[in-house]
Amino acid sequence: MRKDKDYHLTDPTWCKGCGNYGIFAAFKKAAAALDLKPEQLVVVTGIGCHGRLNNYFNSYGFHALHGRTLPVASGIKLSNPCLSVVGISGDGDAYSIGLGHFIHSLRRNINITYVVADNRVYALTQGQTSPTSEMGYVSVSTPYGSKELNLNGLQLALASGASFIARGFSGNPTQLSSLIEKGMKHKGFALVEVLSPCVIHNKINTYQWFRKNIYDLDDDSNYNPRDKMKAWKKLSNEKKIPVGLIYVEKRPSYEDLVFGKRAEPIVFNDLKVDAPRLEKIMEKFK
Amino acid sequence: MQKKGKMITDISVMIAGMAGDGILFTGNVLAKILKKQGWEISTYRDFPSNIRGEPTNYTIRASLVKIYGRGDDIDVFMAFDCDAIFKHAKSMTEGGILLCDGEDFVAPLPSKSKAKTYHRFPLRKLAIGNFGKEIFKNMIALGALCYILDLDFHVIEQIISEAFLKRKGKEVVRKNIQAIYLGCEQAEELISPEERHSLKRREDYDRLFLSGDEAIAFGALAAGCRFFAAYPICPATEIWQWLAVYLPQFNGLVVQTEDELAALNMALGASYTGARAMTSTSGPGGSLMMEGFGLAGMAEIPIVVAHVQRAGPSTGMPTKTEQSDLNQWIYGSHGDFPRIVLSPGTVEECFEFTIKAFNLAEKYQCPVILLTEQDYGQGLRSANKFDLSKVKIERGKLLSQEELININDFKRYKLTPDGVSPRALPGMKNGLHMVESNEHNERGYRDEDPENRVRMMQKRMKKLKSASKDLIAPKIWGKRDAEIGIIGFGSTFGPIQEAITQLEKNGIRAKYLQMRTLWPFPSKKVEEFIATCKETFVVENNFSGQMSLLLKSQVRMSFDARNILNYSSQAFRPQEISTQIQKAL
Repeated sequence: MRKDKDYHLTDPTWCKGCGNYGIFAAFKKAAAALDLKPEQLVVVTGIGCHGRLNNYFNSYGFHALHGRTLPVASGIKLSNPCLSVVGISGDGDAYSIGLGHFIHSLRRNINITYVVADNRVYALTQGQTSPTSEMGYVSVSTPYGSKELNLNGLQLALASGASFIARGFSGNPTQLSSLIEKGMKHKGFALVEVLSPCVIHNKINTYQWFRKNIYDLDDDSNYNPRDKMKAWKKLSNEKKIPVGLIYVEKRPSYEDLVFGKRAEPIVFNDLKVDAPRLEKIMEKFK
Repeated sequence: MQKKGKMITDISVMIAGMAGDGILFTGNVLAKILKKQGWEISTYRDFPSNIRGEPTNYTIRASLVKIYGRGDDIDVFMAFDCDAIFKHAKSMTEGGILLCDGEDFVAPLPSKSKAKTYHRFPLRKLAIGNFGKEIFKNMIALGALCYILDLDFHVIEQIISEAFLKRKGKEVVRKNIQAIYLGCEQAEELISPEERHSLKRREDYDRLFLSGDEAIAFGALAAGCRFFAAYPICPATEIWQWLAVYLPQFNGLVVQTEDELAALNMALGASYTGARAMTSTSGPGGSLMMEGFGLAGMAEIPIVVAHVQRAGPSTGMPTKTEQSDLNQWIYGSHGDFPRIVLSPGTVEECFEFTIKAFNLAEKYQCPVILLTEQDYGQGLRSANKFDLSKVKIERGKLLSQEELININDFKRYKLTPDGVSPRALPGMKNGLHMVESNEHNERGYRDEDPENRVRMMQKRMKKLKSASKDLIAPKIWGKRDAEIGIIGFGSTFGPIQEAITQLEKNGIRAKYLQMRTLWPFPSKKVEEFIATCKETFVVENNFSGQMSLLLKSQVRMSFDARNILNYSSQAFRPQEISTQIQKAL
């Protein structure tokens, strides 16, 4: 069995108390629990403080362009489904500049896990308002308060055909790691949103604030994560924020549908020129 | 129309009407018949970016010698309505035949037209009267054209069967053939057999008939492309639609993405794992891809982008031709990074250059752009069969697992004399590394040290120099000692060649430098060419003379190049080039 430290490349240099530490710890733990070989794991990150993660994490890594985490992760997984592919984004990456990809990846249902670190602020660029910042949020970009309604990423995900929705909290890496692990085991696209405080730029949504406003669905034995309407209802209440496994559904993955029983991943194709077969196809141009 | 003695050697047939009239289908069937009768074919689409209700025309040119584009005039004109007459009748040749379905109104023949025979031809009435459906007017028109060109009805029936039998059944085939015979008989009443443009029948030797888009798609398949992601866009979608059928049969995959940002980034993800990957686009799609283009350069990921140019800027004219995206792919995206831009001139070159593009992309680990145009991207050409024995797959410094395991301290972006580093793929043991969109060090980890920056920048840019010996050189056509030089790229290949022949008839000797690799720029070869010319003309389909400007920035000699530009959204006619050169001299 592998241990957490097998995925620990170097010590992170995020700000002291940054929510990303919780994600880093939880992700290492999940990888160890799944006993993944580091060379079989590809971590794709976007632009934002979270994007430093694969500098510290021992695996193959791809630090993509801002917002393009999911297309890159999808291309990797589709060409080589043998790899475990985890995408990590911030709220700006996932819910703003990459929102188109977010919705379409959900409906495509490729077998990847997507961790969205939501700190409700643009931290790397020094504290601007993000799409998940609450209306009225005062920041350097909205000194008179944000006039836009905040985006509910998980409700959007549910409406876009998500087959797995969970929400964790950086302040609870144990639960978060089990959610990431479940997500990685899920056959299809698994979305794990993480409430992940920024201790420098967001003085409103702090650890304390989150602790006060979240409740754990995993504690509710009556909650059935297979009930879409219930999940929708839970996600509608933005005053009381549910964490835990919110929704899961069995649905064929994109790979199931396009590859079927085809066993060999695209990357292992022999590219040798099959001249007789190509000749036959060329005949159709006559 | 070109005639040798009494024999026709070159003929152009235009079919015009409204979008939705079935002009494309009719034209393609005619083109196929002509091809089967041994003629060299080049078709030219002048369609609106609309499904129904706007004027559209399609020109089928046939010649006894190889042709690469449209000609100067129209010999036979089938107009489905009067509108088309006003626009195109002036391009009719002497002795040309013009048929027009004017319904109750017959447009007078414009005084400028040299056409000899002009008749009203009630396609719609004949179709409804005989078959109860307007749709049959296509086949009636085709029948009339077959009569005028004296085509082999056996071949016609065969092609109609091929087109309809499987999809629509025997009855549809029978009715369509009946409509063709009706058209033929009706035309016979108007035009005497002597007035016709009877075409010689030859053996159809082993030739292909396809578009540049299809040639790129087939080339990609042969080159081992197994992952293709794209967003629908005119006039590049044909590449995708062809691959969508064949890639799955070769264990590959085609993905329709939400936009061009995703298309290129997804293809880059696939390429990073070791799949040969590609995307295709045009116009605004190319603009969206600028972002990922830079990523490919920075992260050194092989990728092939086929960009089929249309008339820009902005949404522009999506179904029309232009050569105005040269600057975009040579200078485009922020920052400096290596890229290779290839420009095929013919359908045959579309195939060959695509194979080359995949090899270059992997050997130099950089983006390679196949820059083509709507003209031959969507236009059909008869082409020589592609030589599959020449297809070689070169994967550059891609490591096998055995090689990688023996490497002590693998560095994905290792500094090497040629700038190209060994490449490991995710899943491989002993190859863990980062692929960074940020500046990075040899291991791929983010590094903003200025000295590292200089080293890595030089490493990446050095690859262009390493690649320069491996690129497709410009090609000189025409007499080497001619003193008039013409420089062009892409689809101007055909019109320039024909312009040279026209100039020669007027005692002017010209030669042509076909630019085939646009970047890195082959300065030396171009300098050598210019040095042998008294006058140099640069022919291109854009407003600002993008090739001309590039030339002047890359050639270390003072010279005066004159621009011959066409930004009308139409391909050059040979005479546009030859007369402008003649006037300028």
